[in-house]
Amino acid sequence: MPSRRAFLAGLTSASLTPTLSWADVGSPVALSAAMTPSGAYVLVGLTATGDITFQIPLPARGHAAAAHPHVAEAVAIARRPGTFAKVIDCGTGDVKQTLTSPNGRHFYGHAAFSSDGLLLFTPENDIATGAGRIGVWDRSASYKRVGDVPSGGIGPHEILRLPNGTLAVANGGIRTHPDTGRDKLNLDTMQPNLTILAPDVTQIDTAHVPQDTHQNSLRHIAAAPDSTVICGFQWQGDPYDPPPLVALYKGNGTLLPAQMDDTALFGLDGYIGSVSAFGDGHYAASSPRGNLAFSFDQNGQQTGAHKATDVCGLCAAPDGTCLVTDGLGRVHTLTEDTLQHRTTHKLAFDNHLVALTT
Amino acid sequence: MRLALAALCLSTLPAVADVQRTLDTHILPGHAALVEETTKLTEAAQADCTPEALRPAFHDAYDAWISISHIQFGPIEDQALPLAISFWPDPKDSTGKALARLTAATDPIVDDAEAFSDVSAAAQGFTALERMLYDNQPDADYACRLTQAIATGLAQKSGSIQADWPAFATLMTTAGDDGNTRFQTPIEAKRALYTSLSTGLEFLHDQRLGRPLGTFDRPRPRRAEARRSERSLQHIQLQLEALEALATTMTDTDLTATKAAFAEARTRANALDDPALQGVADPAERFKVEVLQQSVRAIQVAVIDEIGTPLGITAGFNALDGD
Repeated sequence: MPSRRAFLAGLTSASLTPTLSWADVGSPVALSAAMTPSGAYVLVGLTATGDITFQIPLPARGHAAAAHPHVAEAVAIARRPGTFAKVIDCGTGDVKQTLTSPNGRHFYGHAAFSSDGLLLFTPENDIATGAGRIGVWDRSASYKRVGDVPSGGIGPHEILRLPNGTLAVANGGIRTHPDTGRDKLNLDTMQPNLTILAPDVTQIDTAHVPQDTHQNSLRHIAAAPDSTVICGFQWQGDPYDPPPLVALYKGNGTLLPAQMDDTALFGLDGYIGSVSAFGDGHYAASSPRGNLAFSFDQNGQQTGAHKATDVCGLCAAPDGTCLVTDGLGRVHTLTEDTLQHRTTHKLAFDNHLVALTT
Repeated sequence: MRLALAALCLSTLPAVADVQRTLDTHILPGHAALVEETTKLTEAAQADCTPEALRPAFHDAYDAWISISHIQFGPIEDQALPLAISFWPDPKDSTGKALARLTAATDPIVDDAEAFSDVSAAAQGFTALERMLYDNQPDADYACRLTQAIATGLAQKSGSIQADWPAFATLMTTAGDDGNTRFQTPIEAKRALYTSLSTGLEFLHDQRLGRPLGTFDRPRPRRAEARRSERSLQHIQLQLEALEALATTMTDTDLTATKAAFAEARTRANALDDPALQGVADPAERFKVEVLQQSVRAIQVAVIDEIGTPLGITAGFNALDGD
């Protein structure tokens, strides 16, 4: 997508402006938003053992930040249905820039950078039509808005860069309107899907949620090194009669449902908070309402279920385990069949851990 | 020095004292009552397993369970027993299917108490026992053995939960002590109690009342809990009583609004002449159930204001975010 000129401009500006790498800010493996005991909001960097490498203020409660692949810079997106995003220097804590969604648009969730770090992609709602869009911003030109493309559905909540260079979009299917906050306007007709975009953001595959469970909203996604995508759902029907709330995507327009115990699904309120791949073919999902962290094998067979109050944040750690955070400030390590408490901070960790690919 | 010591006690003791009092007057007696009633139930089932004979003991034991069913943490959670004691809500009719499978096969597993604890949780609890006592059973002999197996299992599960409570109670009263990894700070024990209260109220509002109410255009009377034994309303009344007892024992803060809200809800529930909540399909009767549900919502709000906020407990930073 970036022209040769834009690419070169990016290199030039990068060389002129001294910027810190992730190693310069303590080599965190993940970012998380959090709330302090005084009620202030912060963005923190975490090591694989749960130590905090940096802690910088956020102007408001964050949802999840997009982490630049090389430079210690994050873009914190406002919570739905917000219209601003803050570009934050994770070395100094300075807000370098505020991005505003174009007129008639609002941001919808998790953004992502391209693998070269030149472009930022933001899931958006086109308010008038309800169509999901992906905004494209050129970092090298001070985050100039350079275009937008269809997200492939309604209510895109997350866009994710995959190791194979493509992008995955979780289209949740639920139409909302800023006038009615998070009210769900189309539960009878919603049709969620996972859309795969080529690096030039053209659509190359779509995996639909089956029609008989069309109220299973795809919300969160994470990628394994082989570009398998784990999908976490939020079921809009009877919470005591949910379909599988976790699925794997390995291509060919198909979502492969994970196998979870009926009794495991019983107390989750139909709600998965975060998902992650970790290690060699392992997957994880969290249920903050069921206070459970699950692990799965490469086929999506549940291998563990572990109790942790208000657990939500998950991401792969370099040692092959999964880093886990909760609303009580605890950091844990999840493996195929264990959950081990590492440390506790005086913070309430917010929904998501964002893995840093340094 | 003595003054300083006294001041220290005043500032630290109440938190533990509230937890201790809740254990002593609410949680431990509640579980003792459950053991007592399920023991009588299993004795009654051994003496006479016919539905007519067993129903009184069934009602007493089920009452004891509903009165303590809001305590979902601790031994019951560690032993993964909640569903095996009561499998509800059950929109897929897992209970009916599991009992039908056992009956169709005349499965002898019912004669082995230990093995029976491995059958589907849906076939093990009060919800299963209700089916045995209120639905037609074509094979009376097998139904008798299955009924006895469920009753025996309920007594065993209740005993096993009660047996672990004293040790767990100590963990709660020593919250924050060195080496107490279960409750790392004193507030965590309080949080467990508060979560039981708020989750219990939510379950009452969303499930016990919300499921049969459905929507005005589509009421769901068949979704009322324990409608076969016409216990639906009684569960609501018992749970209101139990949750009020928990609220008033777990804190010394002013509970004026909470108590008023509980009183209002109790009055509304007592005014209903509809034990299985089947009136939800009748617009005039339905209105009374909706008003009861609204009064439960008022309790939820009062409890947040008068108990949760003063304790500094906000339930579920992530659980409530919903994004």
